[in-house]
This record gives sequence, C-alpha cells and structure tokens, in this order.
Amino acid sequence: MKNKRYAIVLDTEKCLDCKACTVACKAENGVPLGRENYRNWVEEDELRGTYPNLGQSSTPGQCMHCGNAPCKRVCPTGATGASPEGIITVNDKKCIGCKYCMTACPYNARYYSEKLEAVDKCTFCQHRLAQGRLPACVETCPTKVRLFGDINDPESEVSKILAKRRSRVQKAEMGTKPYLFYLI
Amino acid sequence: MTTLAALTRRPGQLAWFGFLGTGILIGMIAVASVFLRGHGHALNVTREIPWGILISTYVFFVVSSTGLCLVSSLGDVWGFDKFAIIGRRGHLLAILTLVTGFGVMAMELNHPIRMGIYAVISPNLSSPIWWMGALYGIYLILLIGEFTGLMLGFKKMAFTMGLLGFMAAISAHSNLGAVFGLLDARHYWYGSYLPIYFILSALVSGGALTALIVYFNHKARGKALNPTYTEFMLTMGKLQALFLGVLMFFVVWKIIPGLYGQPPEKYEATMALLTGPLAVNFWMFEVALGMVIPFVILINKKTRTPLGVTVAALLSTTGIFFMRYDLVIAGQIVSMRGEAGHAGLLQYFPSLAEMGIVFGAITLCLFLYTLAEKFLPMEGGHRH
Amino acid sequence: MENMLSKKLNRRRFIGLSSCALAGVAVGSQVKVLRALAMTGEVANVTAVTEKEVFTSCGMCVNKCGVIARVRDGVIYKLDPNPHFLKSRGMLCARGNSGVQSVYDPDRLKYPMIRVGERGAGQWRRASWDEALDLVAARLNEVADKYTRAGVMFASSEGFQEHFFLTFAECFGSPNTVRHASLCLASNMQGFGATFGSNPTPDVLNADYVIMSGANRSEALITPDSIDMVTGNGGKRKLVYLDPRFTKSAAKADEWYPIAPGSDLAFILAMIHVIVKEGLYNRSFIENRTVGFEALVPHIEPYTPEWAETECEISAENIRRIAREFAAAAPRAVYYQGRRSSFFDNDTQMRRAMAILNVIVGNWDVKGGMVPTQTIALSTHDYIAPWYSRLDAGTATFLSEKDGSWKHFRDRVLEGAPYPVKGMMVYKQNPVMSVPNREKTLKMMAQMDFICTIDVTMSDTAWYSDVVLPEATYLERLDPAHALSGIVPVVTYREPAIEPLFESKPNLWIMQQLAKRLGDEVYESFDFTMEEYLEHQTTRNPAILESLKKTGVYYEWTEPKYGTTAGQRLKTPSGKLEIYSERYAERGLDPLPVYSRVEQVPKGKYRIIVGRHAFFTQGTTQNNPYLNDIMPENTLWLNTREADRLGLKNGSKVRVRSAVGEEVLRLEATEKIRPDCVYMAHGFGAMSQGLSKVYSRGGCDAALIEDGVEPISGNVSMHQTFVEIMPA
Repeated sequence: MKNKRYAIVLDTEKCLDCKACTVACKAENGVPLGRENYRNWVEEDELRGTYPNLGQSSTPGQCMHCGNAPCKRVCPTGATGASPEGIITVNDKKCIGCKYCMTACPYNARYYSEKLEAVDKCTFCQHRLAQGRLPACVETCPTKVRLFGDINDPESEVSKILAKRRSRVQKAEMGTKPYLFYLI
Repeated sequence: MTTLAALTRRPGQLAWFGFLGTGILIGMIAVASVFLRGHGHALNVTREIPWGILISTYVFFVVSSTGLCLVSSLGDVWGFDKFAIIGRRGHLLAILTLVTGFGVMAMELNHPIRMGIYAVISPNLSSPIWWMGALYGIYLILLIGEFTGLMLGFKKMAFTMGLLGFMAAISAHSNLGAVFGLLDARHYWYGSYLPIYFILSALVSGGALTALIVYFNHKARGKALNPTYTEFMLTMGKLQALFLGVLMFFVVWKIIPGLYGQPPEKYEATMALLTGPLAVNFWMFEVALGMVIPFVILINKKTRTPLGVTVAALLSTTGIFFMRYDLVIAGQIVSMRGEAGHAGLLQYFPSLAEMGIVFGAITLCLFLYTLAEKFLPMEGGHRH
Repeated sequence: MENMLSKKLNRRRFIGLSSCALAGVAVGSQVKVLRALAMTGEVANVTAVTEKEVFTSCGMCVNKCGVIARVRDGVIYKLDPNPHFLKSRGMLCARGNSGVQSVYDPDRLKYPMIRVGERGAGQWRRASWDEALDLVAARLNEVADKYTRAGVMFASSEGFQEHFFLTFAECFGSPNTVRHASLCLASNMQGFGATFGSNPTPDVLNADYVIMSGANRSEALITPDSIDMVTGNGGKRKLVYLDPRFTKSAAKADEWYPIAPGSDLAFILAMIHVIVKEGLYNRSFIENRTVGFEALVPHIEPYTPEWAETECEISAENIRRIAREFAAAAPRAVYYQGRRSSFFDNDTQMRRAMAILNVIVGNWDVKGGMVPTQTIALSTHDYIAPWYSRLDAGTATFLSEKDGSWKHFRDRVLEGAPYPVKGMMVYKQNPVMSVPNREKTLKMMAQMDFICTIDVTMSDTAWYSDVVLPEATYLERLDPAHALSGIVPVVTYREPAIEPLFESKPNLWIMQQLAKRLGDEVYESFDFTMEEYLEHQTTRNPAILESLKKTGVYYEWTEPKYGTTAGQRLKTPSGKLEIYSERYAERGLDPLPVYSRVEQVPKGKYRIIVGRHAFFTQGTTQNNPYLNDIMPENTLWLNTREADRLGLKNGSKVRVRSAVGEEVLRLEATEKIRPDCVYMAHGFGAMSQGLSKVYSRGGCDAALIEDGVEPISGNVSMHQTFVEIMPA
C-alpha cells in the first residue's frame, strides 16, 4: 500500500473570486491580519480585450506542495520539511527568518508571520485532516472550486477527475512538480 | 583621559568621532525600533520582496571583506611585496566588514540564535545559505588567524592562514553568489554568472577600500605619503583600472542576455535597471560613479595620482553599494505570480529604520577601524 | 386611548406566562474579553483540542447560512459551513468566515454610551445600562407627551431579533417603522407580486437559460442562486447578463451586454414582442393560468427589437435571437428578477415586464422555471394594525405598511407634516450611510429631539445619535427560529457560541428593559424568555426545535416540489397570473408596462451607479478587519478612454460632484464600465471615527446620490444621479 499523497484539483471556471477561501484560511489558521498575510489567494487574471468585448478569469492558489520543492531545498536549518503525505511544512521553532524559502518559491506562497516569528504557509489544514475534516478553503468554497484528496488512491475523486480531464500545473517548466492541478 | 585630551586638541578628529557617534546612535535607534515595532512594521520588505537593503548591505560588506582579503593577500600570500604594506590594515578591515555584515544580516534575520542552534543540529546541506554560514565562519577564523600572525610577526602562520583564507574567501564568496545564483525561481539571478561575478566585483571593492584606508590614514594623521605608499597607490590605481575594465565587461554581458530575445522575467528585471525604477541607481551610481568616472580617472596618467586614485576608490565604493542594492532588488522586482497577476513591477523602498541600520553599520565599522588604528600598531608587518 | 392600548396588548399576549427574571443573560467579564482578544485566531493544535461546536446561523448578510461555530476555551476561532444547510450548498462566503471579527473587532460597541458633546462630534461617556435605559425611556416619553406616540420613528432592518424592535414600536404606539425595503427590493416585490401574487423563486439550479439584469449574482451573493448559477445544470446552462459594468457575473456569463442604464424595460418589452409576434409563447398555459394576454398583444405592437435597439443599445438581431432561445428553452428558462431593484423610477413596471415575460413562456411552477416561494410556518402573534396612520401614508401607490418609504418619510419629517416626528429609535440600520442624499438624512436627524441607536458597531447613524446601546453580536445570542423561504424552505436558529462580550446585550433584553420602564402594559408583551419564545414558535410542530438542536436546521422536504399551485387560486385579485393588472388600472397606473425613457446623461457628466462586492454586505462589513484587508478603500470606476480624455490618471484622487454632495476618492480607470457611467462601492467614506478602517477612507455614495423615487412602491431610484468628475 502506497503512502497517501495529498493533492488539490481546481476547476477555476467555477471561481467567483469571492475570497471565501482566503478568509476561511485566515480564520482557521490564525493568519495575522494584514493584506500581505495570507496562505491562499485568488488572483484576478488579466482582463482580456477592450470594452465592450471583455473576458476575465480568476485563479485561486496556495502552496503547491511541490514534489520537488525549492523552498525545502534552500532552507538552511531544515525548518521546511515534507510530511509522508507530501505536505510541505514549516517547523516554526527551527525557522531563523532568513526568508530564503520565500525567494526560492516560484509561487509566492509563503509569508513571514510576525505572530509565529517564522515563515508560514498552507498546510492543507493538516490539523483538520487529522480530525477527518477537509481543508478550510476546500470546505467553505461556495462553488467548490477545489477538490482535495489522495492522488495515490486511484479511486479517489481527485484521481478520477485527473484521469478524465486535462489539467495543468503552474510553472511546470520550473520542474517543481506541483500538486495543485488546474483543470483545463 | 588621554584620548579625550587628544581629541580636544584635534577638532578634525572630534568631528570624525562625532559623526561616527551620531551614525551609531542612529543605528541603535533603528535597531531598537525594529525590536519595538517588529520586523513587519519597521522594515519595508514584503512577502514578494523579502530581501531588502539589509541583505544588499550585508552583501556589500562581505564582498568588501572578500575583496580586502584577496587584495591584501597579494603581499603576504602571493609575494607581491608592494602590497605587503597594507597586510595588517587590509586584513583588519576584512574582519571588521565581515563582522559588521553579519550584524546587518542578523537584523534582517528574525532568529539569528536559532540559526546557530539548528544550523548545527539539523543542517540542510543542500542549502546555499547553510554553506554560506559554514564557509564564512571558516573564513572568519582564518582571517583572524592570519591577522594575528601578521600582528605578532608569525610569518609562517600568517602565510598558511593567508593561503587557506584566500581559498576560503573564494569559496565563501562564490557560494554567496550561488545563494542567489541557485534560485531557479529568480531568472535574473539564476545561473553560474553570479558566483564568478561576485569574485571579480570583490576585487574592485577590495582595491578601492585598500586605497581609501591608505590615503585617509595619512590624511588623518596629517602625514604625507612616503614614496612606498605613493608607489603603492599608483600601482593600486592601475590594478583598479584593470578590475574596473573587467567589471564593465561583466556588466555588459549581464545585460545583453537579459535583453536578447526578451527572456521572461529576466528581461523585465533588466529593463527595471535600464529604464525602470532602478534606472537612476543603475546609470548614475553603478555606471557613472561606480565604473566609468573612476575608470577614466585611473587610465589617465595625469589624474592617476594618489588623490585621483582615492577619489576613484570613493566613487567605486559608492557605486558598488548601489550595485549590490540593485542586484538584490532587481532579482525580486518581477512578481512571482506575474502570469496570473497584473504585469508590472513590485515596489520596494527602504524604510527609515532600514536606512538607519545601514548607516549605523557603516559608521560602526568605521568606528571600530578607527579605534584599531588608534590603539593597534597597524604600520609594519611588511617585509623590508 | 389607554384602554385601546391595553386591549391590543392583551390580544398580543401569546405566551401568558408569569413574569420571570431574565436569568439567562450573562455578562462577559473583562478578563475573559482580554483573553479572547489576545487569543483570536490561535493556530489550531492537532493534539489536545477541546472544542465546542455550536449551531448558529450567519448574521453577516440576509442569506443566514447555516454555521457551525467552533469554540475553544471560550473563544470562537472558526465558523464552518453547516453541511445540513442545503440552501447554501454547504458553503460559507468571505463575510460568513469573517464573522468571528464581528465579535473580536476592537471597533465593536462595548458599553452603553451617552453623547456629551455636539451631535456627531464624537464625545461620549460610558454609562451603565440602567442610566442609559432610564434616559432612553424618559426621552421617548417626553417626545410622546409633547407630540404623539407617532412622533417617534423606528428604523430597523432585517435580523432575527428585529421582530422585538418592531413589537416594541407597536407597543409604544407608533406606526412609523421605516425599514430597508424602500432602499432595496420594494419595487421588485411590487412588480412580481402584482403579477404572480407573490415573489416567486427562480429555479436557477435547473434552468437551462437564465437572463439576469440588475442582479450581479457572482458578487451580490444570494443562496443558492449564486452557486447554482455557476454549478447548476452541470454548468451547462446559458447565462445572458445585462449590466453597465463588467462585473464578476459578467465574467461568468455566456453573453454580456453593457445595456444602457434604465432601458432594461425596452429590452424586455422587445423580447415579449418577439415571443408574442412569433407565437413562441405557451398557449395552453396562457389560456388556463393567466389573465390579460389579449391586452398584451396590441400593447407590445410598437416595441419592436429595432425600436429597443435604439433604447438599450443591444442589437435587434441579438434581442430576437435571445428571445427565441429563451422561448425555446422554456419552461426551463427564467428571466431572473434579482433582489435589489432601487435603480430607476420605472422599476416597478420594469419588474412587471420581467414577470410578464416569465409568465408568457409558461415557466410558472415547473422545474427550471419560476417556482412558488415556499416557507415553513412558525407560530407568532397576530399583527395589529397601528391606529395612527403612517407619516408617509399616501406617498406611494402601494406603500408597505411595515416598511414605509425612506425617501418620503424623511421628506415629511423635514416638512413637519402631517405631524412632527421628533424621536428616533434605530436598530441595526444605518440610514446615514444607506439612504441617498446623506445631507438630508443628517438634517432630518438634526431636527430630532432624541436619537437612540442599537447596533454592534459605531455606524455613522450611531455616531449622530444621543444614546448608543451595544447589541450582542449574532454569535453571542440565542435567537428565535427563523424561516427562510425559497424553493426548499428551511428553518434555522442560533445558539450562542459564547456569552456576550463586554456589556453587550441581545436586543430582546434591551427591549424588555425599555418596556419595563415604559410601564407594565408594555412589558406584558415582553414577559418571556428566549427559550420560551422558541418553544412557542414551534408549538405546532415540536419536531422543528428538535431538529434545530440536532442539526441546526429544519426542513419539511429537501427536494424541490413543483406544480403545487395546480388548481389553486393565486394571491392575485383574479386568482391567476396577471399579465394585465386590473388593480393597477383601478389605481390609475399602467395596467401593462409602458416604456418611458429615463433621464439621459447630460454632456460632461456621468451617471453614478452602485453595486456590490462579494465580501461586503451593504454598508456593514467594510470595517471588518478580514474583509477590509481584501479591499481597504473604494475607488471611482471610470472607463479608461474617458479617464484619458479627462486627463485623469489611474490611482489619482478625483472629486466627484453631484447636485447634492461632493466626495473625493481615488480613480480606477478601467475597461469594465460603460463610458457614460461611473461606479463606486458602497460603505466607504464613513463619518464615524468608531469605524477606524473606513472613517474618511474613500467616498460615500449616499452623499452623492439624489433621492429620486419610484412612485408605485416608494422605492428609491439610485441610478438617476449625474456627477461631474475633476481632479482633486
């Protein structure tokens, strides 16, 4: 039996850009107030066209929990690690605040938490998973843009949808092997 | 008591110490404000530009240290006798700039103490920053050893330490280049260019600072340069012209690949330097003050006088300070989520606290050096 | 008079219980508060979690989504969506999630406060509840003695405990309750009510074709429509969206038309024209279920798509195509009526036209169509008509007795006729920020002898009051059961997640205390505990309370029911769907919607339009720290080309001037708006320093918008103001 490998599949077509995921995450994970402090986000993509022929999409994101994580590679003290399920974690007690991981992350998924005195990031709500709950962003989303599950389980929802539909990862060319899959 | 009396007798010195004292005080206030208000409030670094002027100043200091070590080793290690006269001063300043550099970085780090603990008990050997700490640590020990050897006249020790120190300096410093150069997320930095460039630019820094300490030491003591020192200054000038020439070559070849074919992110960062928010820094400080004017002064026989070399050195040092700043900022100025976000560059400008720390660090370094000059026998140590 | 009062009150004695002390209301201690503030958002710890989970219902907007409040060590740290609450499809939006901050925001009202300086100067002193309540009771009596009991107005808006405020108004003896409806959906209710007999619910989940105008569902979130719009029908349904702005709904739409503001009626009439002319309507349905179709046929003759094109700027070709597609998709096609309809002075007739369009394609009471709005009955007391007539009586053809019309009401207060209104009680409403023409509202308040506001934050209205009473937030209260209507109606309620912080109190307690001070006859109506009230509400069906306690919700059925009105009389005078309204004809109104062009934008000016963002609820959540982080300031949207033409730079400060006010805010040059319109988000530019994040930040739309009014319902018309823009 293989290890679990958690992943999120996103259907951005459904995203309303309502920011529910961002606020839910902030509340769930005690992210300090402030515009720069967030573990997940919704980017408004560039507006296409000119008035009156317009189009716009939005792209939610968070730590991609990369299989080949540059943040983990550069951390001098091993504060950044990975759980057996592939969750990229930060041990805040070991973090020296050099912010090297922040410069190394191609997704801008990390921020420095004044409260923790350490770099902080998405954990797929590990503590909720332990209680049998979904990550807060997944659960709260009005249109359920995100699907969370174990990609090593071929019968999981995420595996099935990834089999059925085409998807992409962000900045694939970086070779980071992200585990956030965006349906095309 | 004697110092005080001496000070009052010499108003220039009083002014100098007054200036340094003020600088250090400003630095202390800035440091206090960081502790009182927290990093997030006192520093202007953001989640997208996490490294600001403190990191670039750290780089400036450690590059200076490396450069000083390399240049002043020319005498003790490599047997260029002309350079032996700056052995002690050069190595002392190399130690001081390195230590000050660490101090500045500690202000950017939130937990320097944790670094000491976890770098040892849970090291991550794939981290360039871990290697940076290790190599600079070794380098510092060797520098101190060499300096001790020089001061006590243990030539053998000085030589051995010096040779090892030289190698440590090259390793540590090229590794510092790799701290940036191994970040594949940052296209402007990524590649083998920076480790090499850092060594070269260190020579410019070291050469300039060496010229400066020689010249101002004499000025401050009201002494004229003796022929040996004059000769040294002129040689240093020539060498510096060469260093600057190579540096210009490096800068040109940094820019061309940044423009050619408009490589994503690299191009935007390069353009930020050439025509964007960093353009004044780049053209005025880096190019004009840092390289072209000093180069013109130094290749011209008429202006390549001890004073001319000093002026050129002062300009280069200033330019290099901006060079470090631009390098650090340009590497981060393009948003990491550009593909999803709005094209356009991020903004960063140092806060008062950050500038205060930088100013405090520079003055502290000068202060320590001045004290050393006052209390340690910096002359001598060179073979005659 | 007194006799009459007691008689009415006796009729209202629905729980005949002996007066018992209000033991249930505890006071949060200061220490606890400090700890709570310090610990908010504590990171969850995997181990050693001693959590309490409390069923409640979101109070951040009107949707009242089911919530499970997670409480640790007496601190609410997270609000999760209640999966049993089907109406919201198991979601909780940004506002819902930010609800914790309504409790722990340092800006919340903490103690009763009495004004000491000039009104609006912001000088307050903290008072005890006793002193504040004594003062309020005394001043209310003073106004009543000097003028009449109708001399006190009661302004409030929806909420689970608003009922007690309205009851208090009734017991006090004032007919002058002024609610939010006339700033919002009064014309909508009227237009659809006149046609359907009630306001039906569009079955967005199952509709194949949806046309939306005046409803930005991706941002003005309404459950379940906002969700179903995107995910319903496997996301395959077609959405045609009309809006002068390219909103996030426009981004989700299959077709977006930046329609000329105020011309929706032309578009709809032309659609009806096409459907009627081409015989695409549902004949048998029209024969059996409707009245007045024969009058419609000649009526729509002049409203050709070619004519409409010149009005609404949507090509005749597209109007024809959309009309045909709509009819082809019927009955699983809806022209979505939206909620807020306070746009133009033709709004009731416009909604009438929408309703008629829906009727003729026969989408009534079928899957994917317009479904009768269902509700679950809770026991309550009889409504007693007030014995005075309302101050604004007769100002609109069909004025709601309970809601009134803010615009007309305020005008009459200022006129002092037909009688003076000199006292103002406000609950959970913020007219200073929300009623167009702020200057007038402030003038109206200036002539009041006494103003008391009950709220959770220092709103602009509270700021201009004499006494401010801190209400406990929705997370700190046990609230009555509340029926939410819809295709699948639901009952929800609130258990307190924590005890009220500081000295805040539930509104029921506040009303009880005031009632006590007004005399035993008044108090009789309040002589019960919330627990007793809940029990009373569910006496006819105890299963409700049981289910609420177990799952936080109560349903009678969970799948939509269709066809329930077959063979039933509708609540219209004819008992059928009324294409032609006899009642309108009797009142001298157009019995079929007649198009009249709204005032056009004068040269050099812009029409100011208002709208919503998904993270703000009217003017109430802009100061919430979580939400303010998302959008800390509002901007003035202006089309990029217009900004270039005026030489105004994106991000620069501009002055916006209308006939009634002037505001300064930053410009946002954008492609996302018609060149003849400007837009600004509501809720910024506050005057209250008690709202520290929005005080003086951005601009206030209410300060600029003129107080036009729709004559049939008395709803304000907010899109009829023209502004000039200049550099500031």
